[in-house]
Amino acid sequence: MEKKHLLLTIVTPEKTVLSDKPVEFVTIPAFGGEMGILPGHASFVVQLKEGVMHYKEGPHKEVFSVLNGFAEIHRDKVLIMAEAAELAKEVNEERARQAYQKASETLAMRGADIDLDSAQASLRRAAVRLKIAEIRKKHKQ
Amino acid sequence: MASLRDIRKHISSVKSIKQITYAMKMVAAARIKRAQGAILASRPFAREMDRLIEDLYGELAEGDLPAAGAGALFEERHPGGSLCLVLVTADKGLCGSFNTNLLKAAAAWLRENRGRKVRVVVVGRKGRDFLRRLKGLDMEISHEMVGIFPKAGYVHAQLLSDAILKLYLENPVESVTLIYNEFKSMVSQRIVTDQLLPLKRHILENNAAAKRRSGEFAFEPGKSDLLGALLPRHIGAQLYRTLLESQAAELAARMSAMESASKNASELIDGLTLKMNKTRQAMITTELNEIVSGSEALGG
Repeated sequence: MEKKHLLLTIVTPEKTVLSDKPVEFVTIPAFGGEMGILPGHASFVVQLKEGVMHYKEGPHKEVFSVLNGFAEIHRDKVLIMAEAAELAKEVNEERARQAYQKASETLAMRGADIDLDSAQASLRRAAVRLKIAEIRKKHKQ
Repeated sequence: MASLRDIRKHISSVKSIKQITYAMKMVAAARIKRAQGAILASRPFAREMDRLIEDLYGELAEGDLPAAGAGALFEERHPGGSLCLVLVTADKGLCGSFNTNLLKAAAAWLRENRGRKVRVVVVGRKGRDFLRRLKGLDMEISHEMVGIFPKAGYVHAQLLSDAILKLYLENPVESVTLIYNEFKSMVSQRIVTDQLLPLKRHILENNAAAKRRSGEFAFEPGKSDLLGALLPRHIGAQLYRTLLESQAAELAARMSAMESASKNASELIDGLTLKMNKTRQAMITTELNEIVSGSEALGG
């Protein structure tokens, strides 16, 4: 008998991370706690909080960090819409920390000609990265 | 008549201007690829988001809506009170009529709503400077964002949407209007005036298809909470698209403006070179004439 698969799609505003990738098993950090999804799951719409999601496809496993988003499960299709999603191993914690520091220093200076908006934006971005790195560390243990 | 030296100076200055415009054109051309890619990459997210909101809206009973925190975003507000304008311009000039047309449209909008209090959220240095110069209007710049192009990201859109939502929910703002340049093609941009808030209009329009799947889904947390969390992100996604469109349009405008500037500079150089050669020839002829007539007078 042929194995059933889930089709996993992850989209963020800036790019499509995965598109219709066949996987066997997905866990998502749902609003009320971790949620595992196997083929044949009931239709479901759920809000996500920041956390890690895993998927498994044969012996192949992958861990993603997602931040604030939504998931929709419908007819063996899993759609994740997140504000940010990154492969956990791609996040560089050291770099994120440096960026965070630099941005907060810029904000603290508050000079006349400094671009506050871009500093604020990079501060936010760095905070997201740091959070992702933190989550990853927590889940490794 | 201009001397040879003056003409040579003129030519060299035009040449260096041409170098600058040409370089700017090449930079814009290189960046526009990425800007277009970003627009394409943002589409799936926006599409799925819209679909989810439509579905969710179709599932909600009429009474549920005001209960949701999001209800406030849907309600038509009473006419009166202040208005809000979101103006997206470029940070830099040298992009043809890109900014001029935008500012004209903004000025026209402001004239239409003369006499009412207007709160402005402005993106881009050009727009900010323009609005600051305006006098005699009941206008207040509530939020400004400069220096984000050409690296506008989703974070910027988020900051912007936070600011707009805060403005909208805390003040009696009747509606939020968005004015920006849309990227139509490499050679043309279109100015779009759009209503951002309240939302009801956009979503009800294509609500018909959503009804049929009713009852099939389970929701966590409740539908109205979910909608309340979705809508700010929907606005964020919409603003993100706006920023990207404006960014691509600016680059396209700059590219064509700089291309025609380079062309004009080339023509100018050609003309000046011709003039220089003519002048030189004329000088030689005069000199020869003088020598010949001088020797004739002496020798007889």
